[in-house]
Amino acid sequence: MAIEPGRALEILRERRQPDGGFGSRPSLAAEAGSTAWAAFALVACGAPREDVRSSLAWLAHRQLADGRIPLAPDQPDVIWPTPVVMLAWLAAGSDADRLRKAAQFLLSHTGRHQPRESDSPVGHDTSLRGWPWVLGTHSWVTPTSLCVLALCRAGYRSHPRIAEAVRMLRDRQLPGGGWNYGNTTVFGQSLRPLPDTTGVALCALAGLADRATVEPSLGYLERILTRIRTPLSLGWGLLGLASWDVRPAAADAWIEETLQREAHFGPYETSSLAVLLLAARSPGGLTGRKEG
Amino acid sequence: MPEELHNRKPSRRRFLQVAGGGAAAGLSATWWYTGPHEAGLRATVFVGKADRYDGPLADLLRRALAELGWGPERVRGRRVLLKPNLVEPDRSRAHVNTHPLLVRAAAETFLRLGAAQVIVAEGAGHVRDSLFVLEESGLAEVLLEDRIPFLDLNTDVFFAAPNRGRRTKLKTLALPLALRQADLIVSMPKLKTHHWTGVTLSMKNLFGVMPGNVYGWPKNVFHQEGIHESIVDICATVAPQLAIVDGIVGMEGDGPIMGTARRAGVIVLGANLPAVDATCARLMGVDPLKIPYLRAASGWLGPIRENHIAQRGESWRALRQSFQLLDFIPAQRGIRLAA
Repeated sequence: MAIEPGRALEILRERRQPDGGFGSRPSLAAEAGSTAWAAFALVACGAPREDVRSSLAWLAHRQLADGRIPLAPDQPDVIWPTPVVMLAWLAAGSDADRLRKAAQFLLSHTGRHQPRESDSPVGHDTSLRGWPWVLGTHSWVTPTSLCVLALCRAGYRSHPRIAEAVRMLRDRQLPGGGWNYGNTTVFGQSLRPLPDTTGVALCALAGLADRATVEPSLGYLERILTRIRTPLSLGWGLLGLASWDVRPAAADAWIEETLQREAHFGPYETSSLAVLLLAARSPGGLTGRKEG
Repeated sequence: MPEELHNRKPSRRRFLQVAGGGAAAGLSATWWYTGPHEAGLRATVFVGKADRYDGPLADLLRRALAELGWGPERVRGRRVLLKPNLVEPDRSRAHVNTHPLLVRAAAETFLRLGAAQVIVAEGAGHVRDSLFVLEESGLAEVLLEDRIPFLDLNTDVFFAAPNRGRRTKLKTLALPLALRQADLIVSMPKLKTHHWTGVTLSMKNLFGVMPGNVYGWPKNVFHQEGIHESIVDICATVAPQLAIVDGIVGMEGDGPIMGTARRAGVIVLGANLPAVDATCARLMGVDPLKIPYLRAASGWLGPIRENHIAQRGESWRALRQSFQLLDFIPAQRGIRLAA
């Protein structure tokens, strides 16, 4: 294990603000996305519930009456933090009522969709519903994957929206393997995959799709991770592989190298750092089959 | 859509909103409202020849700025934010992103003119991992060597700015705090064709200042609101003070990512972004009057007609090329500039 639990906890605790919130970088104003990722990672790294109580309360305070947890109070349509907050609450064993409300919000909302048209310049099936970053926009790979992860963990694995989201994610997989933000072809040209979106999609599909379906995507990640040393891409890439029982032998060394490089780049963005620490402390992936 | 957009005449209130930005609007000292025919609206654009990235680019930029009236008094003590176009991480396709050596030359130029600080900032539209794009583009190495800080605009703290364009329904735009903290914002796009907007230049490059944390990846809110309308709104609200276009190697065909490299051998500078983009379009063999967002900006944010743009450096006519346009892409159909 590259990162000892105490060190991982210390890295995250240093960023926590007095009210429990986290900003995207040290000293920046707290917002729900960074706070949710940090709280989730703290729990996964072994922090006692008492240690994350203030962050969980910070998130609870930001939940709106309809169940969503938006990025900021003045951006109610920016709903993407909702599934991440659910993951943090689930990991910490938080209030079931808040979780249920958040789940109901997600299950009753989707992106903007339209029937697939034969002459559309985009290659994917625009009718398949997942979840958007922002209400009123199309469904994309990362928010859909996060919602699948959170809702499955919350007990909605057999819900029809999960089945449709799985179809959507499979439809958005690139012909050569991997996912990008969510377009497969545009004007007939196949687009390129990205490691972070490929990783999060693989996490979401673990246990919901057969291995043959995602094999090209696993191969893409195994190849590209050998040269990636940035926290978000490496973190999600390793989590995605781990969800399918693949752990590169050098993974710990890559994580350590990535942490060391923060000295050159300046403070990493909080959610990226949290994802990297999750990858370090969860060699079995987010499904927790091999919790470290 | 183009006509509809163009025919929305700026209201008195909108004029006051823009004019109220004053220097903050940064639309050049000669800016005033004159209506859609550009009467009285003028700008200066510099076109310089540059065949290679490892040539004396900083010298060329200094000469260009001098020709545009940008001496040390304009830069000294200012905080400069350079906004390159970093689209996708792909080492093998150098024509996708603004070249690192041009960014280095710009930083060096502003520092030599006395800038208090130069930072490079970007919020990539498709890729959440900005550091990954930075590394793959080769820019990370340059910035580390030169000790130029990089800021990820996708995750910066944001503030709500009144939408000065109001071509979309959005009343406010969430902008990264770094934009407010900068004295000079410089848009540094690549010279490219684009499959949704015909061309992508210094105005479209500003999509990359809008925070992904608020608008998602891709920044789909603006697609829903209308790409051309959004370009105008963002440009009017962010109001950069300068554009430096990397046209040494551009992209033709299915841009902004999947197109092919096109060596154009130019850099283009100017303080008025619509005028810069109109000149770039002509250099690519594209009629700027057929690009909806440029038509919408015409006579309001800047001049785009050739006789309203004072040319410095090389003549665009001598350097004009015919970038490949694809008939099966609607945004590129019928936009070719007449010979």
